[in-house]
Amino acid sequence: MNKVMTSIENLKKDIGDFYKPELHHFMVMNAVEVGDQIEVQWFFSDYAHPCDTTCFYTLVRPETEIPSIKDIVASAWVAEAELVDLMNIKVENTQKGFVLEPDFESGPLRKKK
Amino acid sequence: MKTFFKALGNVFKKPVTTKYPFEQTFIPDDYRGLIGFDENLCIWCRRCEMVCPPGAIVFSQDMEGKQTYHFNRAVCIYCGECVRACPKEGAIFQTAEPAPCALKAENINNGWNKLFDEALASREAYAAEKKRKAAEKAAADKAAAAKKEEENKTGN
Amino acid sequence: MGRQYEIPIGAQHISLLEPLHFKFTTENEKIVATEANVYYVHRGIEQACCSKFKFRQVSFVVGRVCGLCSISHTTAYSQVAEKLLKIEIPLRAKYLRMLVIELDRIHSHLLCLSHVAENSGFEALFMKTMQYREFSMELLEAVCGNRIQYDFSIVGGVARDLKPQVAQSILERLKKFIPQLDELMDIYKNNWTLSLKNKGAGAITKEDAMRLNVVGPFARAAGLAIDVRNETEDLLPWKQVGFEMITETSGDVYARNMVRLRELYVSIRIIENIINGLPESALITETKAFPDGEATVRLEAPRGELFYYAKGNKTQILERLKIKAPTFSNVAAMAEAFTGNEYGSAPAIIASYDPCLSCTAR
Repeated sequence: MNKVMTSIENLKKDIGDFYKPELHHFMVMNAVEVGDQIEVQWFFSDYAHPCDTTCFYTLVRPETEIPSIKDIVASAWVAEAELVDLMNIKVENTQKGFVLEPDFESGPLRKKK
Repeated sequence: MKTFFKALGNVFKKPVTTKYPFEQTFIPDDYRGLIGFDENLCIWCRRCEMVCPPGAIVFSQDMEGKQTYHFNRAVCIYCGECVRACPKEGAIFQTAEPAPCALKAENINNGWNKLFDEALASREAYAAEKKRKAAEKAAADKAAAAKKEEENKTGN
Repeated sequence: MGRQYEIPIGAQHISLLEPLHFKFTTENEKIVATEANVYYVHRGIEQACCSKFKFRQVSFVVGRVCGLCSISHTTAYSQVAEKLLKIEIPLRAKYLRMLVIELDRIHSHLLCLSHVAENSGFEALFMKTMQYREFSMELLEAVCGNRIQYDFSIVGGVARDLKPQVAQSILERLKKFIPQLDELMDIYKNNWTLSLKNKGAGAITKEDAMRLNVVGPFARAAGLAIDVRNETEDLLPWKQVGFEMITETSGDVYARNMVRLRELYVSIRIIENIINGLPESALITETKAFPDGEATVRLEAPRGELFYYAKGNKTQILERLKIKAPTFSNVAAMAEAFTGNEYGSAPAIIASYDPCLSCTAR
């Protein structure tokens, strides 16, 4: 797995430069708690070099809004909506209520303090 | 059209399904069935309880320290993890017998939950009792040692 | 242009096996827009795996994510845990894992095909396919000891060995199955009634498949050659046992049927090769290590690419486990492929996606 550090400001540019629909396959987004920060990860694989997995990651505070990559990767909205509900992070232009009910207490996967 | 006539032909054939209550269904020789337990071979290490994914095995303990094995066939997923974890061969084993259905009278869910908690509590009680006895014994020993020392001192 | 109507289908519907909800906006009979809602069965399995269960027990928990691809989930988890423990499993265990995955693929693909037939209104073919599917269930029961929840892969290897007489019966039953599969192939390919509902319905282009990151038979039917079995040689040696990529070009329901049927021939060949060349070795690698670091694993489940991410912290309990089921990747494309089709074709199209919602929602 090839991990690439990025930041919130550069995220869209980095992924935009990297992602080509005919070459890369967007797999999923993931978030892991690291201390009191959250590591958000974007996984891509490669059609031409099959064993390659590229992971873009960035460390954010839970209340920070993450830019959406919907306009770069068309199918990313499912992964984003899932993380918003399950990990209680904020993503640009994404409402909660896709995975869980809108009135459900969000972030069931976060560690209880 | 060919498919239609072939399908129509099935009307005159015997059914392919097994007539279950009258005929036995296919069960392989090494079917993952009920978990058996041999009390005489068990070394009471509780490793089966530790590895069991759903928590279908629990050991209770009375005040003399004797352990009793409890197993719930409705909670068990028949994965055989307890058999693989067992250090003593044959103490816990998997049979090819399918589990029978539970009756309402058995109270297999709520009764089990209660039993499980009670078993853990009984073990805790035994451990506390053991600790108390050990502490008592240590105190008695200490007192005896102190007395002896005193006696030795006065004796001198 | 006619008036627009909104027609819901699901979450409870006779043509749906799983709780999913589609809201179609139709103009007369034509679907112009679709909205999908797939999360009705969220069970919090990821949370349970990272809090309640020890890492060795998790391989049995993730088997319960999905009933149909139970072995794919347990194998993928076992692989990711082995990566965290940094152990290599015996060769025989790898081959046995592949064997059960391929047997599982046969029963899963036949189930999907039968439901496409049923939802297209062809009840007799549904019965026929289900009848032919039964042998694979019995073989799985003979190999794993259970019909549905196989619990076959465990961390470090496999739980049971393959007996010689079971191996023999697999070969015999497969030999018997090949003419039956030829018969099914003939019906699915040439039946005129079925083609009315299947040809041209739910079509998706290769460009769209790439843009929406589709996986599995859905993508391969559109001509996008994506199959994890073609890629990861390090974990399971698929190419050694004769894997071959199957693709079609038209991307409609008919093409998906064809991809699934042709993959069955590949699966049969793989199983025969595995049984004939099964290496002798131990079944399990023992270790006392604890999972540490992070790792990802991809595996080809019957419905497409399965992705596992795990992070360990040197304790019995995992820090994080992320499961990406195949259908999850297809949700975006599922909603788009309806556009331009008639509402009457919708059930057959849904069945041809082979959606597994309990996997997706976990």
